[in-house]
Amino acid sequence: MIPRCAILAAGLALVAGHGLAAVEPMNKAQIKSVVRVESLTIPTPGEFFAAIDKQGQPNWTQLFQPKSVTLTSNRAQMALMLGVLVADGYIAVEAQDGQGVKNTGKEIINLGTKLNVSKTILGRGNSINDFAENNDWSALREELEATQNEVKLAMAEQKDQNLVILVTVGAWTRGIDVAARFIDKNYTPGLAALLRQPAIIDYLLSQLSLLPTGLRNDPLVLHLQQGLESSLKLVDADPAKPLDPETVKSLAKTAAELVTSIAEGAKK
Amino acid sequence: MKPLLFVALIALAPALLAEQKQPTAPTPTPLPVTSRSRALELAGAFANDGYKIRDGFWAGSLELGKPLFVEVNLFSGNEYWFSSAALPPAHKIAVDVFDQKGRPVQGERFQDGATAAAGLIAQTSGHYFVRVTMTEGEKADFCLVYSYK
Repeated sequence: MIPRCAILAAGLALVAGHGLAAVEPMNKAQIKSVVRVESLTIPTPGEFFAAIDKQGQPNWTQLFQPKSVTLTSNRAQMALMLGVLVADGYIAVEAQDGQGVKNTGKEIINLGTKLNVSKTILGRGNSINDFAENNDWSALREELEATQNEVKLAMAEQKDQNLVILVTVGAWTRGIDVAARFIDKNYTPGLAALLRQPAIIDYLLSQLSLLPTGLRNDPLVLHLQQGLESSLKLVDADPAKPLDPETVKSLAKTAAELVTSIAEGAKK
Repeated sequence: MKPLLFVALIALAPALLAEQKQPTAPTPTPLPVTSRSRALELAGAFANDGYKIRDGFWAGSLELGKPLFVEVNLFSGNEYWFSSAALPPAHKIAVDVFDQKGRPVQGERFQDGATAAAGLIAQTSGHYFVRVTMTEGEKADFCLVYSYK
């Protein structure tokens, strides 16, 4: 795993094993002091898909079924959908579908315009097109994450900080939707273990609970919160045991239903 | 007379254009060295080996004897490098990774003055803790980035 050549070429020292005996376990105070930084603590869909690629051979072209954006004036729904689109972008990259990436990039810019963050990400949209044109899939992964982060930054700058977490929720939900759907049909204990990420759902729920009352009580946001709570119950199991096939099926069903709700809006 | 003037203008044109361009030519200025740029520089070495660098980062102020921890969520089977750098007056820092019970995780480490990195293959999916420690120096800005493959 180590890029020894690169490091050694730079004349640097690599310490394998690192004398772990000298590293003390964390104490309770240290565990309490741990911070969570959204842009680092929450993995990208790309990381998730990279792990799946190592254990399975997904047909990403089949899995790339982009959701169309329903016309809406609900900003919460738009923010959630933006997250879904970012995840769709990663799926299109995995499928090496250049046109799919470009279409998704266009949808992201259109939605960004409605959310008043298009000025910030227009340049990113052009880069996404250029990289897709050149089949530069690695650069596209980085560009998608950078686009998502810039959207969030622009939201924070225009006092739409509350929408930021919804973008993250949308992206994570879509990632789980696609991954669980694939694992449900191609179950192995190793693949199922990838779905066991209770700390991420716990983080998303904790951030949703901090939203102002009006937004927290938005029917779609409430629905998402309930769905995430159900998902947490499913995955918060013994880390030593992978999720069983039934649990994976339930998770896939819950995530699919949540993504449909995001695309279509909450049922009145 | 006119052809001569024309020839003279043609001959002088490059010099005249050069004179016009000179004042507007941008002066290259070096980008400021930040803890993030140094951390990215280190992570770049791993990128040569196929690691993708995350756009997100964690930055702040690091003090001697006051290690800082951040939570990350990893996927089993993926390989990770956590790269950190601090600016002067930091002299030496270290990066370590702990599992969800706070036990140190076996892996590989790199250390060179105020830059350090910790690498591992995640054995289980879930949350981990990354610690950045200053072992020599005084309070300084630091940044942590990570890469995966």
